[in-house]
Formats: sequence, C-alpha cells, structure tokens
Amino acid sequence: MMHAVYALIQIIVIILAAPLVNGIIRKVKALTQKRKGAPLLQMYFDLFKLLKKSVVVSDVASWIFRAAPYIAIASAVAASLFVPVTAWPESQGYAGDMILFVSVLALGRFFMMLAALDTASTFGGMGSSREAMISALIEPSLLVTLFTVGLIAKSTSIFQIMHFTAGVGIPLLHPVYILGFAALCMIIIAETSRIPVDDPSTHLELTMVHEAMILEYSGRDLALMELSASIRQLVFITLLVNIYVPHDQMIALYGLSGFAAIAVSLLVYLIEVILVSILIAVIEVHTVKLRLFSIPNLAALAFIVSFLGFIQYFVLGR
Amino acid sequence: MSSYLDILSVLLLLSSFVLMANKRIKSHIRTFRFQSAMIALAAGILGVNSLIHEGRVDLLVVCAVIIAIKVIYIPRLLHRVYANVEYKVEKDFFLNIPILILGCCMIVVFTYFALSKTDGINTGTENMRVVNSVSLILIGLFFMISRKKAIGQIVGFLVIENGIFVTAMFATQGMPFIVDMGMFVDLLSAVMILGIMVFKINEKFDSIDINKLKNLRG
Amino acid sequence: MGFVLLAVPALAVLLFSLVKSRPMQYTVSVTASALMLIAAAWITRQVLLFGTVTYPAAGGFIYIDALSALVVDIVAVIGLMTSIYSIGYLEEEYRHGKVDAGRFRLYYILMYTFIFTMMLALTVRNIGIMWIAIEATTLASTFLVGFHNGKDAVEAAWKYIIICSVGIAIALLGIIFLQLSSIDVLKSSQYLDWTALYSHASVLNSSALRLAFIFILIGFGTKAGLAPMHTWLPDAHSQAPSPISALLSGVLLNCAMYGIIRTVAIVNRSFGNSTFTGRILIGAGVLSILAATLFILTQKDYKRLLAYSSIEHMGIIAIAFGIFTPLSIFGGLLHMVNHSFTKSMLFLSSGNVLQKYQTKEISHIRGMLKVLPVTGTVFLLGLFAIAGTPPFSVFASEFVIITSIFEKHNFFVGMLVILLLAIIFTGIALTMFKMFYGKNTAPAVEPGELNIPGVVAVAALLVIITVTGLFIPNEMKTLLNMAEKIIIGG
Repeated sequence: MMHAVYALIQIIVIILAAPLVNGIIRKVKALTQKRKGAPLLQMYFDLFKLLKKSVVVSDVASWIFRAAPYIAIASAVAASLFVPVTAWPESQGYAGDMILFVSVLALGRFFMMLAALDTASTFGGMGSSREAMISALIEPSLLVTLFTVGLIAKSTSIFQIMHFTAGVGIPLLHPVYILGFAALCMIIIAETSRIPVDDPSTHLELTMVHEAMILEYSGRDLALMELSASIRQLVFITLLVNIYVPHDQMIALYGLSGFAAIAVSLLVYLIEVILVSILIAVIEVHTVKLRLFSIPNLAALAFIVSFLGFIQYFVLGR
Repeated sequence: MSSYLDILSVLLLLSSFVLMANKRIKSHIRTFRFQSAMIALAAGILGVNSLIHEGRVDLLVVCAVIIAIKVIYIPRLLHRVYANVEYKVEKDFFLNIPILILGCCMIVVFTYFALSKTDGINTGTENMRVVNSVSLILIGLFFMISRKKAIGQIVGFLVIENGIFVTAMFATQGMPFIVDMGMFVDLLSAVMILGIMVFKINEKFDSIDINKLKNLRG
Repeated sequence: MGFVLLAVPALAVLLFSLVKSRPMQYTVSVTASALMLIAAAWITRQVLLFGTVTYPAAGGFIYIDALSALVVDIVAVIGLMTSIYSIGYLEEEYRHGKVDAGRFRLYYILMYTFIFTMMLALTVRNIGIMWIAIEATTLASTFLVGFHNGKDAVEAAWKYIIICSVGIAIALLGIIFLQLSSIDVLKSSQYLDWTALYSHASVLNSSALRLAFIFILIGFGTKAGLAPMHTWLPDAHSQAPSPISALLSGVLLNCAMYGIIRTVAIVNRSFGNSTFTGRILIGAGVLSILAATLFILTQKDYKRLLAYSSIEHMGIIAIAFGIFTPLSIFGGLLHMVNHSFTKSMLFLSSGNVLQKYQTKEISHIRGMLKVLPVTGTVFLLGLFAIAGTPPFSVFASEFVIITSIFEKHNFFVGMLVILLLAIIFTGIALTMFKMFYGKNTAPAVEPGELNIPGVVAVAALLVIITVTGLFIPNEMKTLLNMAEKIIIGG
C-alpha cells in the first residue's frame, strides 16, 4: 500500500514539476539577455493548447509513429519511479537497479529514433542518426559514473546509494564524488539536449538534433513528446540531486518523521531542482553550441572524467 | 584539511584533462590560470597549517609568489605574445582529441601502477595526491608533444612545472625555501625568454607552426 | 677565494653593461677570465692540501671538493682560452659588419652570466641550488645559441630551450624523489645537502632512490647530450658562434655530467653495488655512441660533426661511470678533462675556418693547410686527437676506460665500443680529411690567418693536449685520485 502511495506522489510531483524546469531555464536565459521572456508557466499553457489540437499523421507512417509518444512518456514516467523526490520511510526496501533505469530511458529514446525514421522525411533521419551518435557516446559515461557511486555504496539501487551518501557527510567534498559530479553534469547536458550539445530552440537543419526527431509530430502527440522530454530532464536532475545532495540528510538534521518529513524533504528537493535549473541555464548562456564533430570530444572528456573517478576509487584503496 | 587537499588535487587533474580537450589557445591560458589558482590555494592551506603548528611562514610566501607570478603575470604575458600571432584555434592534430584524452587516462593508470611499488607514498590519500601530481607532469609532457603550435609547447612546459611543484608539495611538504624561490625566478625567466623566442620564430618563419622548423635535420 | 670565483663573473657582467668601447670590453673579459683561472688554481691548491674547501661562516653554502675543483679548473682554463679567442673572432665579425655595439655587449653579458651560473652549479653544497644553476645555464645560453638570428639559429635556439628546459624539469622531479628518500633520515635544514645525503646514504629509502636516479639521469642526461635525449645538441652546438660552441661543448656538458656523477655516488653508496645504475648508464652510453656513429658517417656540416663527436664522448664517459671501478672512474674523470680541451680546441679552430671560408659545408672547403696554415694544422691534429689517436690525451683516457671495461669482464660492451670508435675514426677521416688538401677552389679566399689571438689560444690548447697525453702532472694525478675516492667512497 505504501508502495502505491509512493508511486502516486512520485508521478504527480514529477509530471507537474517537469514543465516548470523548462520555464525556469527559459526565464533565466531571457533575463541574462535583458529580455523579459515568456512567463514561468508558459510550457503548461503550450501543452494545454497542443492537447486540444488535432493530430496530423503522414500516409507512409506505420504504427510506430503513432505509438512512440505513448511509449516515450511511459518510459519517462517509469524511469522517474527510480529516483525518489522525497525521503520515503522504508524506502531502503525498494528495488530500483540503476542498469534498469538506464535501459528504460534508452527504450524511450529508441522508439523516438525509430519514429523519426518512420515518416521518411530527411529531417527525421538526420535527427535520428545524430541522436544515435550522441547517445552511443554518452551512455558509457553515465553507466561508469553510476557504477562508481554504486561501488562506494556497495549497491546498485539508487535508494540505497541515497541513504549511504546521506550518512557520509557532504559528498561533494570527496574526490571521487567531485569527478562523478563533473561527469554527470556533462552527461545531463548531452542527454537533455542543451547547449553546447544541441540547441533546444532552433529549427535550423545545421544545428538541431532533438527537435529534428519531433519535427513531424503535431497536436496531442507533440504534447506528449515534449512532456516526455521535460520529464526525462527532470529525472536526470533528480538523479544528480539524489546522488550528490541527498535531501534525506535534511530529515536527519531536523529529526522529523512522518508526513512532516515528507513535506520538508519535498520542499528541499524543489529548491535544489530550481538551483540546478538555474545552473543549467547559466551554462547554456555562457557556452556556444559545439560543431557536431566536436561532440565526441565532449563525450570523451565525460567518459574519461567518470572513468577517472572510478580509478581514484581504486587508488584510494577503499 | 586533508579532504580539501584531496579535492584540490583531483581538480588539478580534471583541469589538465580540460586543457587536453580544448582547441582554443585562450582556453589553454585560462585553464592554466585556474590550475595555478588551485595550486596557490593548496599552498595557502598547507601554509596556514604550518603557520599554526610550526610558526613558519615560508609556504605562505610561496603561495603569494605563485599568485603574483603564475596567476597574474604569466597569463598576461602569454596573452600579449599570443595576440601578435594569428593562430587562435588549433585546427589540425596528429591524433584527434578523444584519442589524446584516452592517452591521458592511460597515463594516469600507468602512474598509479608505477608508484604503487614505492613505499612511503603508497598509502591511501597520500598515494592519490602523488599519483595525481605525477600524472599532471606526464600529461603536461604529453600535451607538449601533441601540439603543433609553439604556444602549446609553452603551456605544456608551464603545466609540467606546475605538476612538479605540486608533487614537491604533496610528497615532501615542500622544498627548501630558497630552492622554491629559485624555481620561480627560473620559471619566470624561462617564460619570458620563450615569449621572445616565439616572436622571433614568427618573424623568421611567418608562422608559429613547429612543424615548419625542419631545416636542421640529420 | 671561493667567493672570488663567483664574484668575478658577476662583476664582469655589471661592468659590461657600463663599458662601451670595444678595447675596454676585451680587456675586462680577459682580465675576468684570468682572475678566475688564478682563483681556480688557488682553490685547487687548497683542495690538494686540505681535502675540501668550505666556508662555515657563510653557512656552508659553498663546498668545493676534489671533484668540484677538477671541473672548476676545466671551466676556468677553457673560459680563458675562449675569451682570448673571442677578441679576434668578434673583431673579424665587427669588420664584416655582422655584429654591432649592442650585440657585442649582449654577447659578453650573456657569456659571463653563463660562466657565472656554471661556476655556481659546481661550487654549491645544496643539490637544489645546483639544479637552479643548471637551469639558469640553459636560460643564459639560449640567446647565445640564437646569436646569429638567422632561420637556422632561431630554430636551434628554440629546440635547445624547449628540450633542455623539459629535461631539467624532469631532473627536478628526480630531486624531489631524492628528498623524499631522505625524509625520515635527515633534519629539514639538511635536505638536499650533498654531504649529508652521502654520509647517510645507506639508510635512504631505496625505491624512491631508484626513481630519483632514473629521473635525474633522464633530466641531466638531456643537458649532457646522452641519447636518446640528445636531439638538441647538434643543432645548438653547430648554430652557436664558435667560441660559444666551445663553451657549450667543452664545459656545459661536463657540468651536467657532474650532476649525474654526484647522484650516482649517492645511489651506489646506498645500494652497496653499482648494478642498477651501471646497467642504465652503460646502456645510455652505448646508445649515445651508436647514435653518434650513425650520424657522423653521413655529415655534411663540419660543426655538426664535431657536435656528434661530443655526444660520442659523453657516451664514453657515461660508460666509464657505469662500470664504476676505481680505474674506470679515474679514466672517466681524465676523459672529461681531455675531451673538454680537445673539443674546445676543435670548435675554436672551426670558428677560424668558418670566418675564412664563410661556409659550414665540408664539400666547399679545400686546401685548408695552405690557406690557414696554423689553424689547419691544429684542426687536422685535433681531428686525429678526438678520434683517439696517440700521443694525444684522448687516447690515454679512452685506453684506460676500455681497459677497465675488459677488466670487469664486460667483453660484449668492450668489443662494441672499440668497433664503434673505429667506425667513427673512419667516418671522420673520410669526411673531414679532404678539407685539408687539394687546391682551393673558392675564389674569394686568400691565404692568411684572420684571428691572431684565436690562433694563439688554439695553439696553446694543442700543446696542452699533447703534453698531457704523454705525461700527467703529479698534481693532476693526485686531484683525480682524490675525486675518484670521493665518488667511490674511500
């Protein structure tokens, strides 16, 4: 019963908070460019507008094209169950393998790529191939980073990692964690299609990757695709926050329990998410989009940084 | 305090990788500045520690000198040198960047194995700090031989010197004071002379591409 | 008197920045080097009488024992010869309009800074300060190597400073490991003190000492021209002006080798035997001779050939210190002396040739014996000498070294060295001897020596190497024996 309540809270919070992250990023970028920018809740309005519109599907598209948005959002929501947003009592008993987490996200991405190819438009094919290259280069880094923190916590469940890190003190003051943090930041930028890997607000053929894949969608399907992308973004941010700034700690600090604990940790989590989104926005503002063939450089750097974290763990002998 | 030193040594290693992955000369100089700032911070922490426990100020003086020379003066000198030559971005390499970064990783692994047999420095965090510092030296050397432009060689040399200073600091609590000062004077003069040489090369060969220096063979 | 050794070049540098006229500059230069020679002679006498020269009142900063005194003497003698030679050389260059007054001053200031740093490296007790001085020699001599400011000279100077600076930086890493090996044994005021390290050698940490030796060998070996770090040497020594080449080849290589010898002494004392250092040194030495052989056979530029010959002789010295028996060390030290005198004589006379014929190519030079009678004779005899012909001194020291190799039953190394030396002799003979005979085909060359003071200097050096080849003076023998005892450890 508790599991069901947990899952419900988790899904509701994530689905509701996801478009807010996009709004914050957009707002911060606009403010730094001395514009007023769209209101914070703009993405909600956009999604509602899209849900009301009708869907136009190409003749040559197969069932994949129609199913992909649903698969994408299902996988995103399923992945979100692995990364808790609140401190949940007895959450140590939950399974939640990190490998399964990465695979579920990969499933969603796989269907997105297939659907883009499905309409036989050149933009879709181009977007798919680019996305395939970027994700193939980034996935190993993600896995190595997660494995390293898992090795330290002696478990592959993100819940247990969270509990372990909460007991260690400030993780960011530990050399292995710093390298993992740097690697995870680079991975997030690549996975959420932000500058310098991909520009989320462009429709120029030269520069779009994610946008190219969802170019053919309209109406409700487009709303679902956009929502799934922002849910994935929030999931990754939550992963970062869970591993490196676990809000469980706050509970131990205040010695709360029960519903007060859940509420306070939820609040702390939201504040941390806002801070991370501001950080992403600042990074976006200060860098330029990389040439497509320079992306392997960034990916190599991310992989090596995460691998270095792994090596440092051995060098430390722990 | 020991954890701060660990983090600084890891950040130094990270900065050397960022140095390797970059193609623009301005970012090289900026990364070098960041590295020197980290080193100054580490020297400052050790200096404060030695001041409190033993009453010696030499590490603090060293920290001040590092800030003056490596964080402020040398990057400014390099910017001035580099402003007069046209190359701002390295366009071609012998090996592409992912392979270079992989090579650096191999260097770290190799250093770890080489140093694990040396007693006195192969325990726990001391080992990690020395492995990081010696890898910094070797990565600086690797950087030097992987770049085709003269400025890359200067930056590589500076990273090597950085690495050696950090190794001295972490492995042996610092060299004798006068040796440290002599090192800095040497480094400063070396960089000034290298800067003048880059001007001369640019004058004679109309470029700072090291591959063009091929007249003396055999 | 030790301070005189250091103070004189420093004062000379100061004077050169004030003095403007050429005759005054020549006077200052010759006086300074003569004073240094007198100071060196005095110090050698002190060392022969008392063993070491050190001034405790100055905090024991200066420490001169027999080994230092030996190398200091070499520096002083060659310094004097070079400054005498420079008078004629620079006059000639000035007459051709290749150097003007500003460059004159730069030349002398840099040359005496160079000599100052070398003296500093040889007379200090602290290995760290020795390192600083050796790094400073690179910095001081870079602009000397690139003095002519042509394309080749700039390239040579760049290679020189980059490779040597990186090498010296690696040597610093070795010195750090040396300090690490002594960290539990010595008080912090005695870190890197050579005498303290030497006396506590048996309790130093051996794995750190191993690493220290390898890095110091790579680092100082770069500066000494051991293969495979020798690539800067042919360029730098051939592009520099000839008196500077003489200083670089005859003196600087010895200073770098001095650093290696000090470290080898500590390491071998610590391990009790010389197998570890011996193998590495012999390997590096054989590799150097091999590299030199290959390149000497195909040289077209006579100064480059002389530079490769320096690499070969440094290889021989490295092998001598690798064998590490009393006889081989004696031979190695003697070889350092003999090689310095012979090589500087060769470079100085090649400077005369260059000024007369204005070309560095062997094939463009013919009939040297008619055009430059004294220089030609000296050069010819010098080539014989450097290839190891009796009765010159290099033959004597090479003989001692090879005897010691066979005494230690290293037959393979001995045969290889003899073979390579023979090939080098053939190479030098084939390439260089045609320069001396034949009709002089270049029309604009008229017979007659240009550089009279230079001729005097090289003739004096020729006399020295002939005499010492036949008969070593007692003082020198005693000094060499004392130095060898210091290295081996009594």
